[in-house]
Amino acid sequence: MQQTEICKFLKVFFSENGCAITETSPYSIQVQLTEELDKALMNRPFYWHYIEKMGGQPNLSTLSLKTDPNEEEGELIHFGSPRLHKIFSYVIEKGRFGQFFEPVPPEGNTVPLKPWLCLNGKIVYHCHQKKEEIFSIGLSLITGEMLKEFHSLVKGGSLKVSIPDFCFTLTPLIKPVSGIERIHKYLFHTIEKENHQWAEEAMCKMDKELALLERFYAGTAEKPPSYEKEKASITGLYAPSIQLEIINGGIFHLHNHPLTGFSLEE
Amino acid sequence: MQPPILTDNKWIEEFTEALNLQKSLSSWKQYNMAFETAQKNMISDFQTLEAPKQLPQLTFHDYQYDAARKALNEMNGRAILADEVGLGKTIEAGLILKEYMIRGLVKKVLILAPASLVTQWCAELNSKFYIPAVEQRKKPQWETVDIMVTSIDTAKRGNHAEIIKNIDYDMVIIDEAHKLKNKKTKNYQFVREVKKKFCLLLTATPVQNKLSELFHLISLLKPGYLGDEEAFNDYFQRGEHYGELQELIKKVMIRNRRDETEMDWPKRIVQTVPVRFSSDYHSVYQQICQLKQKMKEEYLSPQSGFLVLTLQREFCSSREAVFMTLKNAVEKREMPSEQMNQEFLNMMTSLNHLPSHPKADKVLDLINSWEKDEKVVIFTEYRATQLYLQWFLGQHGIRSVPFRGGFKRSKKDWMRQLFQNQAQVLIATEAGGEGINLQFCHRIINYDLPWNPMRIEQRIGRLHRLGQEKDVNIYHLAVENTIEDHILKLLYKKIGLFEGVIGELDHILEKFGSNHIQSHLSSIFSQSESEGEMRIKLDHLSSIVLEEENEEATHATN
Repeated sequence: MQQTEICKFLKVFFSENGCAITETSPYSIQVQLTEELDKALMNRPFYWHYIEKMGGQPNLSTLSLKTDPNEEEGELIHFGSPRLHKIFSYVIEKGRFGQFFEPVPPEGNTVPLKPWLCLNGKIVYHCHQKKEEIFSIGLSLITGEMLKEFHSLVKGGSLKVSIPDFCFTLTPLIKPVSGIERIHKYLFHTIEKENHQWAEEAMCKMDKELALLERFYAGTAEKPPSYEKEKASITGLYAPSIQLEIINGGIFHLHNHPLTGFSLEE
Repeated sequence: MQPPILTDNKWIEEFTEALNLQKSLSSWKQYNMAFETAQKNMISDFQTLEAPKQLPQLTFHDYQYDAARKALNEMNGRAILADEVGLGKTIEAGLILKEYMIRGLVKKVLILAPASLVTQWCAELNSKFYIPAVEQRKKPQWETVDIMVTSIDTAKRGNHAEIIKNIDYDMVIIDEAHKLKNKKTKNYQFVREVKKKFCLLLTATPVQNKLSELFHLISLLKPGYLGDEEAFNDYFQRGEHYGELQELIKKVMIRNRRDETEMDWPKRIVQTVPVRFSSDYHSVYQQICQLKQKMKEEYLSPQSGFLVLTLQREFCSSREAVFMTLKNAVEKREMPSEQMNQEFLNMMTSLNHLPSHPKADKVLDLINSWEKDEKVVIFTEYRATQLYLQWFLGQHGIRSVPFRGGFKRSKKDWMRQLFQNQAQVLIATEAGGEGINLQFCHRIINYDLPWNPMRIEQRIGRLHRLGQEKDVNIYHLAVENTIEDHILKLLYKKIGLFEGVIGELDHILEKFGSNHIQSHLSSIFSQSESEGEMRIKLDHLSSIVLEEENEEATHATN
């Protein structure tokens, strides 16, 4: 993330969360935190414990942040700063589950909305190294149709969290839980077709080091405690695995098919 | 092969619950922001370093960056970082740790550092790397604190050790790891029994005396990598398969040398300061030398040669140092003959009549010749000398602070602070040489010379390191026509020890294998019958060393 991008992100984040922002310059802001954000970002549990016990009026913190090191006032925020990472985890925590509706303009007739399930996540390739790959898959809970890059299809629409007037939702034929299973199956299938040379290499390293370890202790009749520890360390280090980590997901009630675009807001 | 695939069952459960209860559901903006943020923080490949992106205010030298990349990608996070003193091994370790943390491969970390460096480790990791490292307190919370910095002496204590051994550490970092060279020590056993996926061993002197030290270090990282001990000794100790060994070592050890880093280092200005004994001092020195002959006549144990050697070296340092040794010998009745005992007692009396030590006078001259309050570190081998010097300087209105390896961590920090802010002189004994950074000081006096050449490098490295902005002045004090002079002129000068390219020295020491210099020196000095014999033997030793060095050079040019 570039500094200008971070600056934009911060402004969106704080205003989304109901904080009053004063722009002191293009690259620095002053934010009056809400109670929730104060608790989430300021790391002062004792203060909050005290206030809640005593029933006092909390004195909410003000944050002064800058994204340009040349600015005078404020705490410098960059891609590595702990404050930003706290914000990141807060953002991710707050956006894990959703239920959204396409904003269909009222036309007199009642309109059915079809349910879709979407899972956004990462395939994590894990051994002594790690890499990740993002996936976003949508599944029609009526027809079982599956769409890749689902999120990029829907993210442009201004979806709502409550059902628009004159709309009704169709009951899914596929239950969300089975839907999740289907998506997983699809992912398993794709992963299995991939080339897993990385895992083979890791296993190879593991076997080599385990063999060395055996040889190292070959002469000792009774193996010392360090032997088991070292063995466990080596296995723990190299053993390859793949994790399907879900970032977020939700049920989407859509009138139009995602590939054809959505109704715009009135 | 198909690695096992694990699913995120926790998310699935929580999602189902959120839908059923219609709670914890996000707004559309929140949902979008969460996914975008996660994408921004994605690790897209195995190898590219992510950490530098998150540390924009740190500039890494190329060699540091390369070291981290190598440790991560080629050595699988198990490496010996063996840069010369002062090149920033801590920075390299920090970078590697940060990278693993960003990648989520490391959460639980144990850092073992010399007590005097614990605070500094914490401060650097927190301020430079935003790694929330915590210093161990009176009641250490090994289980709950994720990144704990402590000294090995604390960690290995019974009650702590048991807890630590049951924790699965993702990474263990050990600073000044050469202290683990002896596999029989408790420290070594302890480290071996800590479960650690990734492991970094930091040392500027992976080999101090013997190749087997390196064997033990590597066996902590990769047991069996160099075979078992016996096989290793058989195969490598004789030095025949040196090239092969070097290749193996290169795969687990990263070593940057000053002269290879292409950086403009502050210079080392080395100066030998001759000291002359006055006639009264000289005659006592002679008295000590004659002891050797006398002891021989009485057929005393072979160690007596060594005792005389010690006395000679001590006398070149301070009266107090000799006095302590004599007193000990007399009190413990180590001298079998009454005549020898009397000899010692006489000597103690003559010591009492001597004026201040000419070396101390020389130190005073040196200090007075500099600008007012110019700071200096004085290294001595003897505690008695340390005390004497402190008293002596105090008599002349110069404030000094002592520094010893045995000090508690807090005391070390305090002494360093005092030296930086209030005292002009820091007097350190050998053990105190490690684990303090004194970049704010630009002068060193080697009050007496250690016999292990690597130690000199360690001493100098306290000051001549990353962060030192001025040239460093180094003064070697040696008393003319004494054993010190011999060491200095006949050995150290010949092998170019002081010329600054000490990096080569460890090559030589590595090659020397078990026949290490120290024991050579001891035997030469204690067993030579005459001055002439000693000269020849020293000459011989230096030419062997030089030969090794030349061979090294021709290898390099080939």
